Amino acid sequence: MKVGLCAYSAYKIYPGHGKTLVRTDGKVFTFLNGKCERSHLMKRNPRKVTWTVYYRRKHKKGLEEEQQKRRTRRTHKFQRAIVGASLSEIQAKRNMKPEVRKAQREQAIRTAKEQKKATKAVKKAATAPKAAPKVEKAKQKIQKPQQKAAPRVGGKR
Amino acid sequence: MSALQQGIASSLRLFVKASSWTSPTSITGSSQIIRNFHPTPCLNELRLMSRVRCVDNSAIGKQAMAEGKPPKVIHVYNKKKVGTIGDKVLVTVKGEMKKAIIVGVKRHQKHAIPRHDTNNVVLIDDNGTPLGTRISVPVPMLLRKIMKEKTIAKGADYTKVLSIASRFV
Repeated sequence: MKVGLCAYSAYKIYPGHGKTLVRTDGKVFTFLNGKCERSHLMKRNPRKVTWTVYYRRKHKKGLEEEQQKRRTRRTHKFQRAIVGASLSEIQAKRNMKPEVRKAQREQAIRTAKEQKKATKAVKKAATAPKAAPKVEKAKQKIQKPQQKAAPRVGGKR
Repeated sequence: MSALQQGIASSLRLFVKASSWTSPTSITGSSQIIRNFHPTPCLNELRLMSRVRCVDNSAIGKQAMAEGKPPKVIHVYNKKKVGTIGDKVLVTVKGEMKKAIIVGVKRHQKHAIPRHDTNNVVLIDDNGTPLGTRISVPVPMLLRKIMKEKTIAKGADYTKVLSIASRFV
C-alpha cells in the first residue's frame, strides 16, 4: 500500500482517493480531491494558500517541537598578565583586603612624609627660614600618595 | 453532475435574459432566441474527424506534428465508435492512412485512470509493431492489461507498444 502526496496541498493520498493528471509537457500531478485540482488549474500558488502544507512550511506554522533559536554566545571575561605585572601580582593586588590596603597606604604616607620632612629639614637648614612654613604646607598638601586604582579587569573601557 | 446542472443553469439564465417571451405582456423589440446552449457538458470524445497528438518518435508523426497538421481519426475500431485508452484507431497522417493506438485521453476517466491534457496516439502497423522507437510522454499503466487482452496469439501483438514506452503513470 503506497500513500502518495497531493501535488498541490502535499496531503497524504490513501489508496482509493485522488485523481491524476498528465500535462502536455509530460509532468504528472496527483491531486487529493477536486479542491486541490481546481486550485492548481486556477494557477493558485500553494505557497500562498493558507491550508496547504507548503504554506505552513514556508511560514513555519506549528513547529514548536523543532529547534528553538540558538542561545546567544557570551564572551567570558579573562584576566591577563600585563607587561608591568604578572598575573599573580595582579591577582594579589586585586584580592587585597581593604584593611590591608589602608594600612599599606598609611604606611606609604608616613614614609613619604618622613622623607619629605627629612628633605625639608635639610632645605630649612640650607635656605632662609621665612619661606620654610609656606613651602612645608604646600608640600605636605601635594604629597599625599594617590591610592592605587584597582587594576583593570577586562570588560568595557 | 453538478457541472451539468451548472451548465444548464448558466445557459438557461442567458436564455431567460435575452428571450422575450418570459413576460408576455411586455414584448420588447429584441426577439433573440439563443440557439447554442448545450444541455450536456463538453465531452472531449475521440471519434471521427478528431485531431490527435502523435507522441512517438516516428518520422511521419514528427513531421505531421511539426507542420501543424496532426493526425486525424477516420475510424475507431470499437462498437461505440468513441475511442478510449487502448483502442485501435485508423488515422490519416500526411495523406496516408495508418493504424494507431490511443495512449492518453482528454476525456474524464474512471477512478484510478490518469487523464491527459491531450489526446495521445502511437502509430502502429497492422501487426501491432509501432512505427516509432520511443514514447516520451507518460503512458497509463492500464495499457498493460488492455494490450495483453487485445493481443491475438500468432496475430497482431499489441504489447510491443508497451516496450517502447519510457514512463508509466
